[in-house]
Amino acid sequence: MSKARYLPLLLLLLPPFYLDLFWLQAGLFVMAAAIGAIGLNLLTGSTGQLSMGHSFFLAVGAYGYVYFAGDETDDLTGLGLPPLLAVVCAVALAGLAGLAFSPIAGRLSGVYLGIASLALIFLGQHVLFNVHDVTGGYNGRAVPPMEAFGFAFDGTGDVVVLGIAFGALEKLWFLGLLLLGLAALFALGVLKGRPGRAMNLIRDQQTAAGVLGIPVARTRAAVFTLSSMYAGLGGVLLALTFQRAVPDYFGMLLALDYLAMIVIGGLGSVSGAVIGATFVTLLPQLLTRYSDALPLVAPTGTGGVSPSDAARYLYGAAVVGIVLFLPAGLRGLRIPSLTPRKESTP
Amino acid sequence: MKIRNMVAGIAVLAVTATACSGKSTEGGDGTGADGVKTGPGVSADKITLGALTDLTGVYATLGKSITQAQQLYFDELNAAGGVCGRDVEILVRDHGYDVQKAVTAYTEVQPKVAGLPQVIGSPVMAAIAANVATDKLLTIPAAWPSALLKAPYVQIVGSTYEIEMINGIDFLLKEKGIKSGDKIGHVYFEGEYGESALAGSKYAAEKAGLKIVEQRIKPTDTDMTSQVSALKAEGVKAILISAGPRQSASLAGVAAAGGFMVPILSNNPGYSPQLLETAAKPALEANFHLITAAYPNDSKEPGMTSLVSAYEKKHPGEPLDGGVTFGYISALVFGEALKKACDAKDLTREGIYKAHQSQSAFDSKGLMPPLDFSKQGDVGTRVSLIQKPDAKVKGGLTAEAGPFTADAAAAYTFE
Repeated sequence: MSKARYLPLLLLLLPPFYLDLFWLQAGLFVMAAAIGAIGLNLLTGSTGQLSMGHSFFLAVGAYGYVYFAGDETDDLTGLGLPPLLAVVCAVALAGLAGLAFSPIAGRLSGVYLGIASLALIFLGQHVLFNVHDVTGGYNGRAVPPMEAFGFAFDGTGDVVVLGIAFGALEKLWFLGLLLLGLAALFALGVLKGRPGRAMNLIRDQQTAAGVLGIPVARTRAAVFTLSSMYAGLGGVLLALTFQRAVPDYFGMLLALDYLAMIVIGGLGSVSGAVIGATFVTLLPQLLTRYSDALPLVAPTGTGGVSPSDAARYLYGAAVVGIVLFLPAGLRGLRIPSLTPRKESTP
Repeated sequence: MKIRNMVAGIAVLAVTATACSGKSTEGGDGTGADGVKTGPGVSADKITLGALTDLTGVYATLGKSITQAQQLYFDELNAAGGVCGRDVEILVRDHGYDVQKAVTAYTEVQPKVAGLPQVIGSPVMAAIAANVATDKLLTIPAAWPSALLKAPYVQIVGSTYEIEMINGIDFLLKEKGIKSGDKIGHVYFEGEYGESALAGSKYAAEKAGLKIVEQRIKPTDTDMTSQVSALKAEGVKAILISAGPRQSASLAGVAAAGGFMVPILSNNPGYSPQLLETAAKPALEANFHLITAAYPNDSKEPGMTSLVSAYEKKHPGEPLDGGVTFGYISALVFGEALKKACDAKDLTREGIYKAHQSQSAFDSKGLMPPLDFSKQGDVGTRVSLIQKPDAKVKGGLTAEAGPFTADAAAAYTFE
């Protein structure tokens, strides 16, 4: 019976058959954000290390994929690898970037790391704008579609499943679900096992962790690397959904969004990261889309509170409300049938 | 056992329910009762167009002006009976200059519209350009880089930043006493806007034997002190600027404060009438010139006077700026394309684009010089006008030179 409560997850297979492209795309953005947020939550929520540089690693993943899978053209370089291999390489590249930063990540703790990692964003933005051959400069670069075992995840091929024509987003939906599922399972494994306990102890009592024989600096560095690999994978999925990688997007605001996700969802857990990613990614889109229907809102272009302003106010109010009234994040909002109370370890 | 039953149940439900999913019946092109072929965005009594605008981000003022001006045009069009007996309405989506939001908004709006008369932001335009081509949507961007000339279904209304700069340098040579061998500075934004403009200024400088001193800046740089002192040290005789209004004001103000009185020429996005309420006003009035393809708001052309009075009546107290003129013209271009498509009884997306391309001498009733939309990959016009700030007139700009086309601009080829 205990496994039966995971069955509703099967419903996630249905949207491509019913929802229109807007919803599918929004869902894919959520999945990409969720993968990145799980990674950040491992670092910030579970290990207590603040990172402001998450969008840098997302960019490394996204542009890594574009570079490895992209073809050589007049003004762009690319290796033209098979896309599946390119994904693996892109995630590895993000991991390497994280590893390169890990001597700093291992030594600094908490807010100091946050400030140090902020530098990554500015560095990243400068590089992204100026390495034209790889990133396409200010205007970005088209993302080659995913392809695995002869099956292309794009609009070609006239795939029809159960009477529904499958385009790029429908196909990507299943890929996204698979990646998110694997990412979540792996993170759960890490958190439940010895590394998870070590991470939590480093967060709560750094000295005690050291006394118990936990290599504090090395664990921090390892978690930072793992978290950047998660960001890399999220970046790849983001790029595939966008179909174009634009440097401007991977800025400071994106990093703040990711921090908002894990705080809103609930620090230190996988489900919190997923819930937070859903909230932060979906709410502004929904508010913008349905803003015309909100009360007390003037139609665009007539003065007064415009729908887009109203959407912003509501989003801000929701964030403030959650932080005020749900200190454990949205995850703390328990639905009894879905979340049985756990025995808390003393 | 129970689990297996549930799985089987869900699977059966899924398979049977997809049969009644709304997605399986694809809506496509059809023919209306009046014999007009219709596509997405066109119903029996309505034509829906989309606008991806910025009402909350860095270009919020521009976005508001363009949106209001386009709404004004379509209101007038509907009052005059609409197109093919159908009212035209705009679906406005604000992206706040955020590419992700813009891409999402595009995906949402795309199936519901027949075209996009407004897209703000060159990164936004770049992100959706490939989809615009597959979806065959006639799109008018509020940006003028030459890279967009190559994009199918995207129509630049006006000239490009290159052409503006080439004509601007011609103006310097003829009116401001700049001669071969002189140095001129060029302050430009990194990215497509600045690079496009720089390509033009370098081309014109080479033709005229001038030397360009480059100063690249970021959109976040608003203090031009170091750029001005660098250019002063180089001894430049004039400064070109391809940036936003705040950078223009800082550049003019700092230069004048240091007694560095040289002419300053800016691309069309580099000015807004609000600058005349700042401390930079005297410096702007003394040295600043705007290069644009549109007539100023105080022009006596019949199209402009009626636009100004209609806009002021509808939005009293709101500033008149280049966005109003551009918004109205781009809506006009779209409206004329729709009318032509209606005459050909083909309101599909393909039909609208074809009708648009049939216009080789588009008359904007004196808002802009005649525009030629028939040559894909080329600009609508190579004519520029030079204007200078004037606080006493509507729109804060008054004509100084032109319309004219420099020989170098006429000869320029886009790669």
